[in-house]
Amino acid sequence: MTCHAFCMTFRFDSSRISHLACVFLLACTWGAQAGEADFSAEEIARIASHGPWPMPSMRDPGNRVSGNPAAIRLGYRLFHDPGLAANRKISCATCHQPERGFQDGLATARGLQHGIRNTPGLWNVGQQRWFGWDGGHDNLWSASLRPILDPAEMGGDAKRTASLLRGQSELDCLYRHAFGKAPDAGDDALLANVAKAIAAWQETLVSPATRFDALREALLRGDGAAVANHAPALRRGLRLFLGRGQCATCHAGPLFSNGEFGDIGVPFFVKPEGVDPGRQGGIKRVLANPYNLLGRHNDDATRNNATATRHLRPEHRNFGEFKVPSLRNLKYTAPYMHNGSLATLRDVVHHYSQIDEDRLHSDGERILKPLHLTESEIDDLVSFLEALSPETPMVIPGPPARIDSCRGFARRSQGKADAHAASVTSHVSRNDR
Amino acid sequence: MNPCPESPPQAVSRSRAWGAGLLLALTVGAASAAEQKLPIFDAHIHYSHDAWESTPPKAAIAILRKAGLKRAMVSSSSDDGTQKLYAEAPDLVVPSLRPYRKRGEISSWVRDETVIGHVEERLKKYRYAAIGEFHVYGADADLPVMRRMTQLAKQYKLWLHLHGDSDAIERVIRQDPEARILWAHSGFDRPEAVRAMLRKHPRLYADLAFRNDHASGGKADPAWREAFLEFPDRFLVGTDTFTPERWYYIVEHADWSRGWLADLPRDVAEKIGWRNGETLFASMMTGRQ
Repeated sequence: MTCHAFCMTFRFDSSRISHLACVFLLACTWGAQAGEADFSAEEIARIASHGPWPMPSMRDPGNRVSGNPAAIRLGYRLFHDPGLAANRKISCATCHQPERGFQDGLATARGLQHGIRNTPGLWNVGQQRWFGWDGGHDNLWSASLRPILDPAEMGGDAKRTASLLRGQSELDCLYRHAFGKAPDAGDDALLANVAKAIAAWQETLVSPATRFDALREALLRGDGAAVANHAPALRRGLRLFLGRGQCATCHAGPLFSNGEFGDIGVPFFVKPEGVDPGRQGGIKRVLANPYNLLGRHNDDATRNNATATRHLRPEHRNFGEFKVPSLRNLKYTAPYMHNGSLATLRDVVHHYSQIDEDRLHSDGERILKPLHLTESEIDDLVSFLEALSPETPMVIPGPPARIDSCRGFARRSQGKADAHAASVTSHVSRNDR
Repeated sequence: MNPCPESPPQAVSRSRAWGAGLLLALTVGAASAAEQKLPIFDAHIHYSHDAWESTPPKAAIAILRKAGLKRAMVSSSSDDGTQKLYAEAPDLVVPSLRPYRKRGEISSWVRDETVIGHVEERLKKYRYAAIGEFHVYGADADLPVMRRMTQLAKQYKLWLHLHGDSDAIERVIRQDPEARILWAHSGFDRPEAVRAMLRKHPRLYADLAFRNDHASGGKADPAWREAFLEFPDRFLVGTDTFTPERWYYIVEHADWSRGWLADLPRDVAEKIGWRNGETLFASMMTGRQ
């Protein structure tokens, strides 16, 4: 089939496919202009599937304060406030450090105790389907609540949370604005509400466009000069990513993740004895969690957002599977893998290049095979992966806009929060770096 | 007339006696429940070098006992792992000779004729119930290395634990129509296809390791249920510890197996859960030197 005929076939399908067909038609045109030496029409169509960026923002139907300005400001303030933690010294931002892509640079997290998993970055977290390396949460607010309550992380509780909110007049005001009532430790919705506010703020964390996005746009508009301006190593790495590497099979779409889970041969023992069961344990956790989408805290009355959760069943293969992470912003979130066992992007590419097939079960078609990449091919893939991060420095998001009716309170309590933030940074500097 | 004055001490006494009786009953009941816990013959265990490094033999055997296994058929890369476990618990371990000398030979072994000498040496030296688990697909089953495995199985009266497709099974059976084969993972085939193979080949048996499609939520899938009822003597369960971490899944897998087996008639559940393994494999070890 010629390129043209293939495009025409697509045009007769649904409107969505018609859109894809247009992308493909452009791709065909550009492919013809660029010649065989550059990206093929098929490659360009696949590159198109990794955008556009940023993705259209969507409200979370399970979170009634998603997009609510008061909740967003409240969430920002709480995220940085150590008052939620049992020791009043650590906050969400202790591990999710804005200047590190909301990661901490450590192999495994350190809250009140040492954890067993690498802290995930939070850019674009609102676009995810499952949360945590094991997908132990089916919504962002539930995932945000877990570390607050976990005795090994922040060790908080409802009483402490209510006290914090009532003790800072702007927080109290913002809570009343967002939820229409006072924060009350006896209200069993309090913790879910606080988590929903933190989630509402995290939904605003959308990372900027990257060199890859610029290359993609140039390819789609057939701008050969702009394409040629991108480093050859980046383009070769992209071709490897799509082709021989088959990376895009799992690292799909604009986020470069299919949102699911896989076993990529990374050991999952946890010292001194035992294992991290990964997704197998995560499925059990999400089903047992009172804050899941099947529970009463889900604000989507239709429960349409709970379909995937409803059908979850742990399978043998899930044992040792971990989430397919987004590849955006990787440059700022080293080390890598669920346990932070690989220090650099080069180590990651090496892992796939020399992957131990015996650690992978031969059930069905094997996606992962040792690539046996040359050193220059590894350089190319790393170049491509780095092009999925914005240029340095990563912009640190500032505080969301104040709410007019809480403005009178804001100046006083913001001063306190700034002092807390400085204290947290100092604590992190001393102990965790 | 009023029995009350007498009754309190009597009541206390009776109450104590009743309470003690209840406690005894509960204790006996719990013990009975534990005794009634379905034994499991796990037909698909590996104990390769990275497993014995992370989970030494004593710890590994403790896991098998904790899982309530009647016995486990073990094969390893290298076979030294199997021998270590067998030495630790000969009552629990049924050795199978995996032809791989180390990890990484899954794809290459069938074209590597040095494997033959290795297998012949081990067969002379140790006792086994089977050769396998090995991986072979399609026409590769007619390569010289695989043909020799079939001959050796016949010579030593051993099973072949074959991970492959139905084409490979057919080829091996053509080489030796008397060959006894345990089909690993039931070939990851559909239940109808597995039943057809079992009907066609009376010496073919199938393990259910690393599959979930035959049961969910403690219930057997209807199509698989028909297969189990048609061939209750031909299926076995297994965990498949293909990575060392999976040793920590054996206990859960045994309980998961008990869950769905309870959905079958008791005699069928016992056969698939452990009796088939005992009859087919464990019995071979008792009579051999």
